[in-house]
Amino acid sequence: MLEIIHRLLFATLDAAPALVFAALGAVLSERAGVVAVGMEGMMRTGAFCAAVAALVMPTPLAVGMGMLAGAGLAAVHGFLCIRWRSDQVVSGIALNLVALAGGTFLLETHFGPNGTPPIQQLSTWELPGLSSVPVLGALSGHAAPTYLALVLPLLLQAMLTRTPLGLRLRAVGDKPHAVATLGLSVPALRWGAVLGSGLLAGLGGAVLSTTVLDRFEQHTPAGLGFMALAAMVFGRWTPMGAFLAAAFFAFGNALRIGLASSSPALLDLVPQGVLLALPYVLTLLVLTLQGQRNSTPAALGVPYEQESR
Amino acid sequence: MGERTRQALPSVLSVLLSLVVCWLLIALSRDTEGFTTATAAYLQMLWGGVGDWPRYLEGAAATVLTRPLGEAAMKAALLTFTGLSVAVAFKVGLFNIGAQGQMILGALAAAVVGAHVALPAPLHIPAALLGAALAGGAWAGIAAALRLYRGVHEVISTIMLNWVALRLVDNWLVVGPLRGVAEAGASITGTAEIHPTAQLPRLLGDVSRLNLGFVLAVLAAVAVWAWLTRTRSGFETRAVGLGDEAARAAGIPVARRAGFAMTLAGALAGLAGAVLVLGTEGRYPGTLGAPYGFDGIAIALIGNNHPLGVGAAALFFGVLRAGGTRMQLLDVHKSFPELIQGLALLFVAGRLIWLAVLRKRNAPAPVPAAPPAPAAQVPHA
Repeated sequence: MLEIIHRLLFATLDAAPALVFAALGAVLSERAGVVAVGMEGMMRTGAFCAAVAALVMPTPLAVGMGMLAGAGLAAVHGFLCIRWRSDQVVSGIALNLVALAGGTFLLETHFGPNGTPPIQQLSTWELPGLSSVPVLGALSGHAAPTYLALVLPLLLQAMLTRTPLGLRLRAVGDKPHAVATLGLSVPALRWGAVLGSGLLAGLGGAVLSTTVLDRFEQHTPAGLGFMALAAMVFGRWTPMGAFLAAAFFAFGNALRIGLASSSPALLDLVPQGVLLALPYVLTLLVLTLQGQRNSTPAALGVPYEQESR
Repeated sequence: MGERTRQALPSVLSVLLSLVVCWLLIALSRDTEGFTTATAAYLQMLWGGVGDWPRYLEGAAATVLTRPLGEAAMKAALLTFTGLSVAVAFKVGLFNIGAQGQMILGALAAAVVGAHVALPAPLHIPAALLGAALAGGAWAGIAAALRLYRGVHEVISTIMLNWVALRLVDNWLVVGPLRGVAEAGASITGTAEIHPTAQLPRLLGDVSRLNLGFVLAVLAAVAVWAWLTRTRSGFETRAVGLGDEAARAAGIPVARRAGFAMTLAGALAGLAGAVLVLGTEGRYPGTLGAPYGFDGIAIALIGNNHPLGVGAAALFFGVLRAGGTRMQLLDVHKSFPELIQGLALLFVAGRLIWLAVLRKRNAPAPVPAAPPAPAAQVPHA
């Protein structure tokens, strides 16, 4: 039994960081009032650029390149949505499409349809003294992003709720005009949030290609960017909530894979497709039960105009 | 500049700009003769989409025209249906990301009715279409109900419903209970083949895959347009989309209009699935092959959410998609049509930039200095 829990926990900790980072990025952007539908495209860009960069430079540096690439795509989003008050959903969807088509084109013309060549994965850290403890030992033996994914939600939560900057970011998503009245720049705060979300989405993507896999493949984020949005809503636009939701999704996935491999008889009883659909059905159920209430940032998706009131 | 032109111009210019950007991309990715190759590739795309007129005029058989035209019309039909689906939901202020899932359900329903029900042809096709529309409508109805009664945002619910549909259908039903059995007892991928009575008739004979689905798509676009502009409920639907508080104050049944629009959106996406199954595939294939539902989002937005604009955008990108495969003859990658579509949408997102640029040219008004179009800022990954 302990062995099974240990393995499930380990698999969750390996798979969760990508989703956690992307979900945190989505929270950051949407709390500042900018819709984050483009997460999937930013993750894909980050994953691709990190994998390509890792072919010529040390992997940790390549992860940084992936983050910058995600931020680059976020900058286009910011340019359209903040500078030109474009429809944020349209811009996000467009970025997803461009990242998908452009990424496929670059991948296949430079590396072929099977993905990039294998790269050096991020090295894993053994936590001394912990690896032999039952269950808790599952904490040991992960790459750095896993540990960051455990700490960052706390930091972000503290930042949003306890610091002046966090207060301003939240206010910009709820009542941007009030923030402007204080003499603060709404565009500057939103730019910061959008670029930050791009860095985080890029990191999420880079984690996929440097720790979960050892290359970039055609289907790398495979809808994880949209799952990040779901985790954000599920977690009511709070970093800790998004973290817990993302961890729950990752656990559900680990559980499914674990069940399928440990007891094949179960698959005769419950088909694989139903198991695969389960996390999404559960999300829908929970959303139905909790309803929406008032956790959506009030000015989400509303372009800011100084003159309008 | 008239209001209609002002509305449509940014979309047209965006499409043109994306064509230019991709032409440059092709040209610059070549060592020598890049510009000649890019132009040749575009010509191939054109002939592959609207028919190879030069070869036809040189005396080739008519198939060099009908085959490409049929492919383009077939793709345009699917894009029209999913584009209308997204546009109708937009009209009432809802964002239907779920056209893909609704299309999956519609395709499955059409395949089941087509294969497991025996009816004479005049009844079989309408029955299969109806089944698809109901299935797609019901799937979207879930999202509508969650939104109206529980306040669950439709973007999240339709994303989730997409995944549920994909997993249940592609990973279970089609490989399990509904898997078709070919002769000699061998399993095939996808569901059982539909009866000939359920097949949408081909319009140009056997040389082209062009079928009745294209006509249905055109009719659907005109019908949605007429509904939105010529009927009371269509007007009320648009009023809800423009502001539900004002609509409610005016005595419009907001919830009913929103629920109906979303269900109609699902039905339209379901019909896209039906046209795919009944018109070309003949069964629910292992997987739908292309994300027509997601393409519908781009089509709706490039068509400015106008039913006829959606039709025009679908037609254009249908031609591009059908012709895109021909570009591969010149070693140009097959994802270019999708890249053109994505960039066009990105430029459409910058609608206000276009309007500022256009306004500046027509009458020097105090507008912020227009920065260069975002083309230079698009990372190529």
